[in-house]
Amino acid sequence: MATTLEQQAPGPRSAEEERLLALRKKEIRDRWIWRLAGYVFFLLAWALVSRIVGDNLIPGPLRIARTIPELIESGRFFSSFGATLTRIGIGFGLAFLIGIVIGVLTQSRWWNGFFRDAVTISLVSPSLIWALTGLVIWGFEPQGWIFAIVMTTFAVVTVNVAEGIRALPKDLTDMSRAFGVTNWRRQRDIVFPFLAPFVFTALRFGFSVGWKVTVLTEVFSSNEGIGFEMRVASQLFRMDELFAWAISFFIFALVLEKLVLQRYERKFFRWRAEAST
Amino acid sequence: MAEIKVEGLSKEFGVGEDRVVALENVNLDVGGHVFVSIVGPSGCGKSTLLNILSGIETPSSGKVTITQDNHDAEPGYVFQAARLLPWRSVMDNLLFVQKDRSDETKARCQKYLEMVQLGDKVDKYPGELSGGMQQRVGIARAFSIEPDVLFMDEPFSHLDAITARSLRRELHEMWSQTKKTVLFVTHDVGEAVELSNRILVFAKGGKLEDDLQIDLPFPRDPAEDAVAVAKAQVLRKFEELDLIAS
Amino acid sequence: MATVVTTAPSPGRGLPGWVKSPKFARILFPFVVLGIWYFIYYTLDSRIFPAPQTVAVFMWEEITLTSGVRYSSAAENIYVQFGITLMRLTIGFFIALILGTIIGLAVGISKKVDAFFHDWVMGVLAMPALVYALFLGLALGFGNLGPILAVVIAGTPFVIINIREGVRNTPKELIDMARSFEVPQNKITRHVLLPSLMPFFFAAIRYAYAVGWKGLVITEVFASDRGMGWTIKFWYDAHRAHGVIGYAIFFIIFALALEKLVFDPLADRAFKWRPKMDAVQMAEGDFGGVQREGFLLIEDQEIEEGVDTTVAKGGNF
Repeated sequence: MATTLEQQAPGPRSAEEERLLALRKKEIRDRWIWRLAGYVFFLLAWALVSRIVGDNLIPGPLRIARTIPELIESGRFFSSFGATLTRIGIGFGLAFLIGIVIGVLTQSRWWNGFFRDAVTISLVSPSLIWALTGLVIWGFEPQGWIFAIVMTTFAVVTVNVAEGIRALPKDLTDMSRAFGVTNWRRQRDIVFPFLAPFVFTALRFGFSVGWKVTVLTEVFSSNEGIGFEMRVASQLFRMDELFAWAISFFIFALVLEKLVLQRYERKFFRWRAEAST
Repeated sequence: MAEIKVEGLSKEFGVGEDRVVALENVNLDVGGHVFVSIVGPSGCGKSTLLNILSGIETPSSGKVTITQDNHDAEPGYVFQAARLLPWRSVMDNLLFVQKDRSDETKARCQKYLEMVQLGDKVDKYPGELSGGMQQRVGIARAFSIEPDVLFMDEPFSHLDAITARSLRRELHEMWSQTKKTVLFVTHDVGEAVELSNRILVFAKGGKLEDDLQIDLPFPRDPAEDAVAVAKAQVLRKFEELDLIAS
Repeated sequence: MATVVTTAPSPGRGLPGWVKSPKFARILFPFVVLGIWYFIYYTLDSRIFPAPQTVAVFMWEEITLTSGVRYSSAAENIYVQFGITLMRLTIGFFIALILGTIIGLAVGISKKVDAFFHDWVMGVLAMPALVYALFLGLALGFGNLGPILAVVIAGTPFVIINIREGVRNTPKELIDMARSFEVPQNKITRHVLLPSLMPFFFAAIRYAYAVGWKGLVITEVFASDRGMGWTIKFWYDAHRAHGVIGYAIFFIIFALALEKLVFDPLADRAFKWRPKMDAVQMAEGDFGGVQREGFLLIEDQEIEEGVDTTVAKGGNF
């Protein structure tokens, strides 16, 4: 096999292909150079502003880079992350289930009519009102923040799932019916793989929205978690800590995205990548 | 022997003013090792007929029986677009429509993929194949369940002329080998003349207008005089029936 | 062969027709919510959980200014508070629109500029409103500048993304066609480029407004002493649930009114020429903030016609 590859590689590649390949390589390299330039520019601008305004008001990038390890050493880092992630897990997990159920239900016109306004309201209203409403009713009880997270995120899931179901490929289900394929296999081989990307999108959006409302609930009614830490940092005028928390969570989300979600996606959607090459 | 019997078949869509008649009182009797083409202008109900025969749509009235030696026959279907599952490999696409996944079944699928010259592409995803190859997979899929009758809905209309031609040859080859009953919908008269023993001509409004026999030896080369003459005759028939003007 | 028409399952097959209609379901929904509310009211052992009528009376008194509550000397009633928020929102929105359009055009035209900005736009988008709200409060005090900046921070990334997508979706074949007919450039710009950009520009406006508002009210909680956000926080601090819930409902009415009375009619007028809005495929991939909205916000009859509206799905909360 290796020999055939070796023989093939230089042989049939025409001058045109060579040129395109070189162009493509240059494009990728250019993108990286410009991306790097962006980092240099924004980090320098940030450092400069911090120097002018004062390190206490706008801490520079270096200061924050030093603060994160300090937070880790103090031991608050992992306990706060744990508390916040637990809240997201419970709240968004529940919202995810509710969102999927409603998304499936809305295929019927009656249920679509029933839930339409609920979904609209959830999409257009600010998370602040759900946080304050939930907390004023239930106080420090978990129902308060669960209510807030569910109300802000369920519609994101519903809309994506409903859109996926609505777009189900009728030509494929018709084909399977013409061949007399069993219903179970139709679900497994057509419906599930087709809906998977929509569910992934729902997960992504839902998580990003969910974490924002979670920290908001923690500001008002919690004595642990990232939101609580952010409030304490701002009360103590520790701007570096405030930004350090935000940036660490951003990095965490990025790692989650790259290492977990994208890996699963690659496994699930190999057919897509292959199709595009 | 497979037999397709259609009696008094009608199909309407919509109600009141929106009512559209797709098929009107169609009667048919097709059986044995024949290749029957259904031709007609667009909107004449060709595809609707095939959809009803394959159970995708239900008729408004009338009766359809498809039998093989007096019990229910199993049909295979080739669509206009290949309709492959993009997230399953070529082999899995064939296995998707099988009753089981035994080694025997897999060997059978492999056999038909080789017949359409895709024996080495079993692990590819449909997205990696050209349009012609995808339609070949669709054909192999239809043959792989070893159906008693085969329904084909303009399977080559999306392909370029050269690819379509080589696929027509392969199809003819497979039909002669497997001795299936084939019902083939097309809008291309040349294609119909090249492939079929019998041509059913439909008019707008879903009426079966004519039933032509083409008694020429296979394989037919469209460049041959006899085939060209037959094609001209069918086209003349079209003009007589006023199909082209409408 | 008997004809069996299968339809989507709807509840209560034996019930009269009007019960089965989606319109009835839609009207039923608020009553179900009210029922649940009463149920919680009677079962929850809480002194502060209000009955629906308590909230209704509160809201009525707020609107008619008969409650006797004066919030502060600068902004004593609901109209002034909402007006202040609307003013901050509008100013911030226009800054975001201008800034976002400039950057959006640049990153849409050049892949290099896109690489330059991409990760940083994404970073701003991912930042919770809480972070900049706390920061702005400490850095700028309780004036108008902080809240206005919050709108800019929240809204600009959305404008950038939408404009970028718009530029990338310019119909190349139409421009080529126009060039082959030697149509002058300014005519191409007016008749091809701008109309193709319009839906994206419109989406940018809509998202920036909605998201800017969501960020703004949170900022008003932490970095202002007036405005809508501050007012609902006032009732929260006072531990008056009827006030919080009443204002939450005011917020919802405000958002719905903006959608239905401003953006929906605008969208209808802007896209008269197009049968579908499918082409407004927002940047769902890497930025992940926005996506085309499904059928849930549209009338029954429109579902068949495939008319879609767009709405923020992710949002910068």
